[in-house]
Amino acid sequence: MNLDWLDAFLIFGAFKVVEIMGLGLLVHLQLGLTRVANFGVVGFWGVGLYAFGVAYLKVDWPFGDLYQFLVCAAIATIVAAAAGLVVGWLISDLDDDGTLVGTLGFATIVVILATTQQGLTGGALGLGGLGFPYDFGRVKTHEFTWLLITTAVVVLIFAYAWRVHRTPHGRLLIAVGANEALARSLGKSATAARLRMMTVTSGAMGLLGAMHGVMVRSLEINSLDVSVTLAALAALILGGTARVFGAVVGVLLTVALFDIVIQFYIPIPDGWNTQALPVAREAVFGAAIVLMLIFRPQGLLGQMRRPALMRRLHGDW
Amino acid sequence: MVTGEDLRPQILVSDVTKSFSGRVVVDVDELVLGDVPVEGLLGPNGAGKTTLMRLIMHSIPLDGGTVTLSRPGERDVLLSATRTSQMAGLGVVKSTQVITDFEHLTILDSALLAVTEARYERPFAAAADRTVRKRHEDEIRHWLDYFGFDDPLAVALSGGDKKLLDIVRCLLLQPAVLLLDEPTAGLSEDHTERVKAAVRQLASRGTSVVIVEHDLEVIWDLCDEVIFMAEGKVLLKDNPATIRANPTVVESYLGAGSA
Amino acid sequence: MQALQIRRRVPVWAVSVAIGVVVVVLAALFDFWATTFVVGATENAPLVLAAFGFALLYRLTGLLNVAYAETITLGAYFAVWMNNSWGLGFYVVLVPAGLLAGVLSVVTYLAIFRYAKGRRVGNLEMIVISFGLSIFLQHALQFVFGYRRRAFDIPPPNTIEVFGVGVSLFRLLALASVAALTTIVYQFIQRTSYGLQIRALASNEGLAQASGVRPLRVTILIWFVAGLCGGLAGVFYGAGASVESFLGIDELLLILLVVLVGGIWGLLGVVVVGMATGVALTGITLEYGNSLYAELVLVVAFLGVLKFRGRRLTDASKV
Repeated sequence: MNLDWLDAFLIFGAFKVVEIMGLGLLVHLQLGLTRVANFGVVGFWGVGLYAFGVAYLKVDWPFGDLYQFLVCAAIATIVAAAAGLVVGWLISDLDDDGTLVGTLGFATIVVILATTQQGLTGGALGLGGLGFPYDFGRVKTHEFTWLLITTAVVVLIFAYAWRVHRTPHGRLLIAVGANEALARSLGKSATAARLRMMTVTSGAMGLLGAMHGVMVRSLEINSLDVSVTLAALAALILGGTARVFGAVVGVLLTVALFDIVIQFYIPIPDGWNTQALPVAREAVFGAAIVLMLIFRPQGLLGQMRRPALMRRLHGDW
Repeated sequence: MVTGEDLRPQILVSDVTKSFSGRVVVDVDELVLGDVPVEGLLGPNGAGKTTLMRLIMHSIPLDGGTVTLSRPGERDVLLSATRTSQMAGLGVVKSTQVITDFEHLTILDSALLAVTEARYERPFAAAADRTVRKRHEDEIRHWLDYFGFDDPLAVALSGGDKKLLDIVRCLLLQPAVLLLDEPTAGLSEDHTERVKAAVRQLASRGTSVVIVEHDLEVIWDLCDEVIFMAEGKVLLKDNPATIRANPTVVESYLGAGSA
Repeated sequence: MQALQIRRRVPVWAVSVAIGVVVVVLAALFDFWATTFVVGATENAPLVLAAFGFALLYRLTGLLNVAYAETITLGAYFAVWMNNSWGLGFYVVLVPAGLLAGVLSVVTYLAIFRYAKGRRVGNLEMIVISFGLSIFLQHALQFVFGYRRRAFDIPPPNTIEVFGVGVSLFRLLALASVAALTTIVYQFIQRTSYGLQIRALASNEGLAQASGVRPLRVTILIWFVAGLCGGLAGVFYGAGASVESFLGIDELLLILLVVLVGGIWGLLGVVVVGMATGVALTGITLEYGNSLYAELVLVVAFLGVLKFRGRRLTDASKV
């Protein structure tokens, strides 16, 4: 594959876009449908990243690269899903304030463990040695292939979210999010519904973390930063929390704008890239959340359009 | 199916107490609900009718006492140790006094939500929405048509529609014991009559119905027995005619000239 | 919102006094405990002050304001800026920095939260707005005060011995001002007519308005006092280490936990739990040699308490 036309940094920019899109879609299921505000997205993603890295590097697997990746990615998914289950249980009957503290607290616990368990994670220094589960020769080809594979995973996540809207599961999540007490009185276990949703979405976040680990090929404590949570939340809120396409549109207008368009196609003074631009990016994301929620809380795409969807599904009623 | 008169599902309330910030709201020694098909719960504001119903549903915790469900041919269940979300599965269903609905969900959504079995609601359940619809289409269609919902694919907008939808949801759950908290408040005359007819039909098929209602015509019309509550206590339990003539009830609630 | 329950049947002050006596006895008898208590209480005094301010805002307005973290940061930035540019001493900049932080707290209320409330933004959205504002300020402040960490330019502090443990004078001052401030504010809320209005507003806005409370003035006052507490806490935090734009947010989780858990026992509970947290942080750090373990233990413990004692969803009763 001749990839000379492609800038290596552009691959990373695109990877970030795809990754945040995946996280945004999962936050859509949590916040948009079930009204669970997860301020610790980075924790679930990070626990996947670190579980993957530790399993990959610290266990002597008796099989080749591909199977090693698959097994370790499965471990990452399971660990993150279990974390989602535990955190979901923790916040299951607390109010929004408790949810904030529970999810934020979980993310902090992940960072602390990643920092202190140096023997496993390399602590603050980090740990190198992760690799791609294939070998074609050139690094750029590897990275580009990985971008494509990750894109496929995110497309699957999108398809899942799209389908959730069309199944009884999605209806239950919307009902629990909109009126938990009423859902309970109809015989629905709101707690079980939320736990299942948290387990599935957190597991997928963990898988994205593992995918990230392969791409950057190392564990770095700095990557467990609130900016992951921020990007996913800001993009989703900008696009529209209640719409499947909300995260897609939102990420294109936020992460893609900053990490691809401005970085590569707008002439900016030297030195800005390393300091001013990343800081400005976060400030703009934060401001976007505030302004959107005050002036257009439903996001650019607008409210959930349940009647239209129901007409498509049950038009012959 | 339930046959004889004495084989109805019953709810036994014993020694149940509840107070809010020091004020006793419910204090019921012994009360059996469901020995006749339709019972009315009557009493002045603050008598504890709604709170008693919430206590039965266990949507608020009891300070003391027990609530037991007994169904013919099945084991008794201690409702006061059961979660609200398990009540519907046991056949205990309650309509809500305040107008309430699921934001964003359409009328058909609400109906489908009520009838969907838990196994279809899991994250990776393979069945599509239409599978669920096929299984329950007849009953949903029946009740939606009965109450005159022309466009079930829209969101319920008016308070009356939301109130009716709440009752539809309850009916679709095929309750053994149905608690109705002011079911006809704010409804048109036609709709009130329809609700009454639906309640009669349900009761004739073995459901025990308990109604709290301020529209006394509904109570006198429907109920086989009336329970009079005041200040959290059950004062009287008798047939409607007797209650209507009782001096205490007339004085404290009905007012002179209403009989 | 749960009404203000500052007075409880078991008086918190009695418990505090009892704990205090035990502490003094232990500290007088054993070295480890002496170090733990003295260092814990003095080094983490800012935590108590910050939590107290946060709790005021949270309990009196019902808003869980993540951007409170930036009042802390701003207090520290203002102080270090006045200290560095004009060479003003630490004690001189303390008060104006606190006041400025209070003013900024009021500005965020008027410009954002009040406006959002007017547009009927829901509770969950309010929390997300405060999160967004916090992130915005953390980064925007770097353009104002620079990317670098900044440190106070102050002479090395004098140390004195307490129970055989050396403590710098300014840390003792921090502890003293925390004690003084919390007492003053607490008394203000309990005893003055303004305090009465604040409590009335917190328990029933409509009723309070009907009986002549002017909500805007009182609310602004609450935001100002909370900002003042946060700002002063920030100055002490900053002087204890250095100042950067994540100073406040790094402390926020502990503050939140202290407020939510301590709040179960009212405002004084926040102070007591805050103090205990500070001492526990120091104790565990001394024992295991790593402050991160201390934080880990405390976060897990607090989340456990919250799960079993925290505020439940209340809307279940509507059905």
